[in-house]
Amino acid sequence: MSAILDIQDVTVEYSTGGTIVRALDGASLAVRAGETVGLVGESGSGKSTLGSLVGRLLPGNARYPEGRVFVDGHDVLQLGVKELRTLRREQLGFIPQDPISALDPTMRIGRQLELALRGLPNDRAALVGHLERVRMREPERVLRLFPHEISGGMAQRIVIAMTMARSPRILIADEPTAALDSNVRSEVTKLVFGLARDAGTTVLWLSHDLRSVGRWCGRVAVMYAGRVVEDGPAEQVLGSPTHPYTVALAAADPAGVQPGERIETSSVDVAALAASFRDEEEVVAR
Amino acid sequence: MTAVIRVEGRRRSVLRRAWDYLASFDGLAKTAMWTLAVLFTAALLGRLFGLGGSPTAIVGPRLAPPSLAYPAGTDSLGRSLLPRLLEGVMTTLLLSAVAVLLTAVIATLCGIIAGYRGGRTGGLIMRVGDILYAFPAIVLAILVAAVVGPGYIAALCSIVLVTVPLMTRMVGQATRLVAQRDFITSAVISGVSTPVIMTRHVLRNISGTIAVQGTYALSVAILVEGGLSFLGYGVQLPGSSLGLLVQEGTLYMVKAPWLILLPGLILVLAILAINLIGDSLRDRFEPREARSLE
Amino acid sequence: MRLLHWLPGRLLSAIIVLLGASILIFAAVRSLPGDFAQIVLGPLSNEEQREQLRQSFGFDRSLPEQYLLWLGNAARGDFGLSLASQQPVLDELASRLPVTALLAGMAMLVTIAIGIPLGVYAGTHASTGRGSAAARIVSTIGISFPEFVLGCLVVFLFSRFDLGLSVGAFTSPTTDFGRGVVSLLLPALVLSVFCVAATARTTRDAVIGVLVEPHIAASVARGEPKGFIIRHHVLRNALIPVLTLTATITAYLLGGAVIVERVFNVPGIGSYLVLALDRRDYTVIQAGVLLATAVFVIASLLIDVLTGLVDPRVSVAKKGRGA
Repeated sequence: MSAILDIQDVTVEYSTGGTIVRALDGASLAVRAGETVGLVGESGSGKSTLGSLVGRLLPGNARYPEGRVFVDGHDVLQLGVKELRTLRREQLGFIPQDPISALDPTMRIGRQLELALRGLPNDRAALVGHLERVRMREPERVLRLFPHEISGGMAQRIVIAMTMARSPRILIADEPTAALDSNVRSEVTKLVFGLARDAGTTVLWLSHDLRSVGRWCGRVAVMYAGRVVEDGPAEQVLGSPTHPYTVALAAADPAGVQPGERIETSSVDVAALAASFRDEEEVVAR
Repeated sequence: MTAVIRVEGRRRSVLRRAWDYLASFDGLAKTAMWTLAVLFTAALLGRLFGLGGSPTAIVGPRLAPPSLAYPAGTDSLGRSLLPRLLEGVMTTLLLSAVAVLLTAVIATLCGIIAGYRGGRTGGLIMRVGDILYAFPAIVLAILVAAVVGPGYIAALCSIVLVTVPLMTRMVGQATRLVAQRDFITSAVISGVSTPVIMTRHVLRNISGTIAVQGTYALSVAILVEGGLSFLGYGVQLPGSSLGLLVQEGTLYMVKAPWLILLPGLILVLAILAINLIGDSLRDRFEPREARSLE
Repeated sequence: MRLLHWLPGRLLSAIIVLLGASILIFAAVRSLPGDFAQIVLGPLSNEEQREQLRQSFGFDRSLPEQYLLWLGNAARGDFGLSLASQQPVLDELASRLPVTALLAGMAMLVTIAIGIPLGVYAGTHASTGRGSAAARIVSTIGISFPEFVLGCLVVFLFSRFDLGLSVGAFTSPTTDFGRGVVSLLLPALVLSVFCVAATARTTRDAVIGVLVEPHIAASVARGEPKGFIIRHHVLRNALIPVLTLTATITAYLLGGAVIVERVFNVPGIGSYLVLALDRRDYTVIQAGVLLATAVFVIASLLIDVLTGLVDPRVSVAKKGRGA
């Protein structure tokens, strides 16, 4: 199996104010080129840490005592600053949760795109072309606007345009629709997966939303307590989960319920399940 | 950075808790506190027990360099400099502290009213603050001195007028931020009276800002007092303040440099210590993280 | 375009502040206890002189009338005659203005040239420790040195030892600009120490504040080089609080010039103001204080316009008040 992304048994710890918090605890995930992987799990399960880890983008207080991460054969945690930068620029793409704050507030959209596309053709026509690719209406006008003058959906399209312009090998999207209005969510999701398919980009889609994951991702990995606890084809993981945590997660997802059906909250208690796991799996060291 | 304060079964005494609180500061801030404590204690000993001798008595030759008999040398009249220095430290610290206390009371009151009530009164307060803020510090002090005449009162009024506008503005901003928070809204909904909200909820939540701004105001106060006394319109002879001593020292700078170096050094140390404490308080109340671009 | 939305409001508030300051200055001098003429002229003056003074100050009219008369004249540049020298105050101020302007300008130049790069260095290296800690301690020492202490120290060192520059020898920049600059070098450096340190501290905090913003994280994630991010994204954003500080720095330079000119015996507006205070020359005090305030209000107005050009988010709500 030739994995484009291979995360092997990684442990990540954050040190804050004298205490050490373990965010990843032996997480492993191997992804082949062209796959679309949905990474699900509740807040604090380590999803975002795993996503940032791919580009070694964790804050300065993060430590990696164990494990290795390979992107297309490059040992990410051992790379020099320059090689790491090249890897990020040429192979990786990130789409953040809050698109408006991901844009420089003092700069017009056009200028930011121009800077982000350095090295590629970045004249007016090219910029308009990039905006048209993400189905932006009135691209000429948008290029002259400032980030505080556009909506979240528009900002996310711009970020997507910036990210996909270089046709990255791997795209990491960290809940990219969570901050958007519900009516533009599916549109943006469709856009990202469409562009990724055209460019042959591998997608790592971090989300709470099991329904959209089930719809768009070929494979689902479930994270709990800093580990990938279940991993497999989407229909199998979501349809007949084996790990008790996934069972609970799937059952508690209101999106999976048929209209008119009662949501069963009493049958599976996520909190109790989580507590039973905490006994065997140390989440927080010290 | 911040130490974890352990909760114990027994309640500890107020003194003990205060000590623990002070002990939780970083090394630089602790050194600064010790510096201020030593300066103040020495000045207090001078005042109470005549440490260093009398500040007014002529005891020896004129302009004698520091020696065992006169640890800080003597001035142009043959008075020992050490007791005058101690008196100067006392005057400068006390005057500045009283002025900043006044400032803190005025600025907190005005800032909370302007930030919480807003409206006409709030607007007027901010406007007056803006007008006072438009005067450069020493220029405002000169105007005050021109009206009330040189002396303690001029120094006191100048410090208050110089420090009040900025502190009012900062307290106002902090109050506005607190007033928007949900717990204030829910207090209002549950019928808590405005004065109670202001004192119990708002004041408690902006105490960090008050502490930080008050500390910085103290260093500005010493600067203003020093500057005004240096120009000859602050503390008057036969009194003594650090600024006044520096001004006296300029007259005999070449023959007796200790007359200017010693009070100057103490002045700088005091301001530095206060600024370091202010920085430490600010880090504590407004923590920020550093980030690398790699 | 966007500028037009908030500029009128901002202009109005500047005028209100200036009017308020002028009322304060007028009221302060008029509130002197006792007979104004007696205070000004001293007990040795005769009744004729006092009457003449009252006439020239318009004491026979009501207070608001006196104020408007004074303000109207001041607006036209007529600050009256100096009580001490009987010369027009405007002429005396005008002859000293170039000196103070040059002094403050040189200090501002030093402040920008050293303070901002120092702050950017400290801010971008804040996570790596040692260099940043050193920059921080140095800048804290810088803001803790009152200019009268530092000035005296410099005067002492340069008069005691031969260090190349002489203190006390002053050349007016209007007669010989080059030598004027040289003779103001030491005073300008002394004046700039506080401002350099304050600017470095503010710049450092501003840079650190920008570095934690998500759009910088996004730039890092795009693999942009450090220097590129600093040049294109960090500096521009960090400039906003630094610009705001520049207004305060202007006020500080105006106030600090008073003391530095006194220490170095520079015949500028600052030392003229102190001289006026010594002579109880109230027309000069009124004019000098008003001038300093006006310079500050105008400077901060210009700085707000600049901020508006850098920061597109500036709105009426944010900038409607404040000088």
